[in-house]
Amino acid sequence: MTDKNHSSADDAALVRAAQRGDMTAFEELVVRHRDKIYARAYTMMRNEEEAIDLSQEAWVKGWQRLKQFQGESSFGTWMTRIVINLCLDALRKQKRQRTESIEEINEESGGVERQMPIVTVNPTAGLERSELRQRIDRALSQLSYEHRTVLVLHEFEEMEYKQIAKTMNCSIGTVMSRLFYARRKLAALLADLKKQDK
Amino acid sequence: MRRYVISATCLAWLAIIALLFGPARVLAQPAASKFEAQLIWGTNDSKSPDPRHKPVTPEILERLKELPLKWSHYFEVNRRQFALATNEGKRIEMSDKCDIEVKNLGNSNVEVALFGKGEKVVKRTQPLPSGEILVLGGNAPNATAWLVILKRIK
Amino acid sequence: MMEYNQQLKLQAYLDGELPEAEAREVANWLARDREAVALLTELRNTRQALAGFEAGFRVPESEDFYWSKIRREIERLEPVEAPVRPAIPWFKRLRGLLIPAAAAAVLAIAGLVVMQELGLRQRGTPGEAETALADAGTFTYRDFSARATLVWLTYPAENEVAGEDPIGTMD
Repeated sequence: MTDKNHSSADDAALVRAAQRGDMTAFEELVVRHRDKIYARAYTMMRNEEEAIDLSQEAWVKGWQRLKQFQGESSFGTWMTRIVINLCLDALRKQKRQRTESIEEINEESGGVERQMPIVTVNPTAGLERSELRQRIDRALSQLSYEHRTVLVLHEFEEMEYKQIAKTMNCSIGTVMSRLFYARRKLAALLADLKKQDK
Repeated sequence: MRRYVISATCLAWLAIIALLFGPARVLAQPAASKFEAQLIWGTNDSKSPDPRHKPVTPEILERLKELPLKWSHYFEVNRRQFALATNEGKRIEMSDKCDIEVKNLGNSNVEVALFGKGEKVVKRTQPLPSGEILVLGGNAPNATAWLVILKRIK
Repeated sequence: MMEYNQQLKLQAYLDGELPEAEAREVANWLARDREAVALLTELRNTRQALAGFEAGFRVPESEDFYWSKIRREIERLEPVEAPVRPAIPWFKRLRGLLIPAAAAAVLAIAGLVVMQELGLRQRGTPGEAETALADAGTFTYRDFSARATLVWLTYPAENEVAGEDPIGTMD
């Protein structure tokens, strides 16, 4: 359980205390941000167990590197960057161990997203929040990790194209086409789910 | 009386320093450090089109896997070893188009400059103790990459 | 049908990644092209659908259990700290430090004198520094556990070298 004195302190004060070795201050930071860090890991990995492990590994790394945190960004942002890097490493390792997915073959074989019909009716209009989340969850699972990661970095991490290119070690052109494909595919998948409803 | 005791302690230290510290420092100073630089090509192809390229050692492969790099195969294009005394610098040709200039700054620090087609591209100063590696890299055509790995080997 | 580059430009417009002049061009184009408007609407809807998606996630473990695993791992990786000694008044600590501090000061001065005499004065520790050419952007990644530093260069720019020999850029 975290120290009661810490619950009223802001993140910056907790970081300073944790940098001096106060583990209860760090625990309070974990309590505050653990859902966000876990959510990021889950969105990228699509696996609950892996998301828990990687988010915990991120917290351990966060503690080890805490002295390097100078407050250039918020603590939450700094931690999400750590978990994103860990997830990217894990996904790359996984990719090396499996064959290419159909998604990647599609992408390589000539940009199917260009021929996809435009989804004219908003497929998520009128959905309850929980239903919307469920559908997006299912649709995200059907994207390759590269497409999903670009989407996560852009939509949730609010990174610019240039930052994504650096994070993923690819060109801005690749980021743009992956993002475009991911969005169009997601729209098509959400439209399919809506059709199945009827 | 106490003051005399402190002064005597200081004098004793001073004597020890005069006798030991200077020569000890001279003796402790290593003659030269040995470095190794490798030029590596990263690709997703399992074979290099150049038969002279050998896959990197498992140790290097393992360390590259720890870094946020996307390639699955790495081939050694060239490897150079060289010794540098403190404050000595050397320019090392890694390929026709890639040179590095390494300067041993002493105290485990190095200054590394990378030249591409004769032009200086980047200069970096950092500690490079034994066991650490510095990797300089960039994208190459057809979704491949070039890497220069520098490490201290002695 | 729109060209692929136009589709990507539309997306960049939505993401606020276009320079002002180009963004104005796209706005004018949207005023007269219904297909472009439809695609922009689809992209925007997808973006809106994603907003808030992560907000509902909760760690599926209790607070204490989740933290206990993190704490154990931290403690496993770090040496156990020495027990805290009883507090000593500051003046006593200062007095205790006086002799070794004086000795250390003499040691440092004498060391410098000796080294200067022998011409062995070393350069100070330079720490880390990096300078890149204006057209060679870099980013640096440090992995402390792997004991590795990666400096990634945007040199040469990918479009400059496209079509060259596959390994002909630097190697």
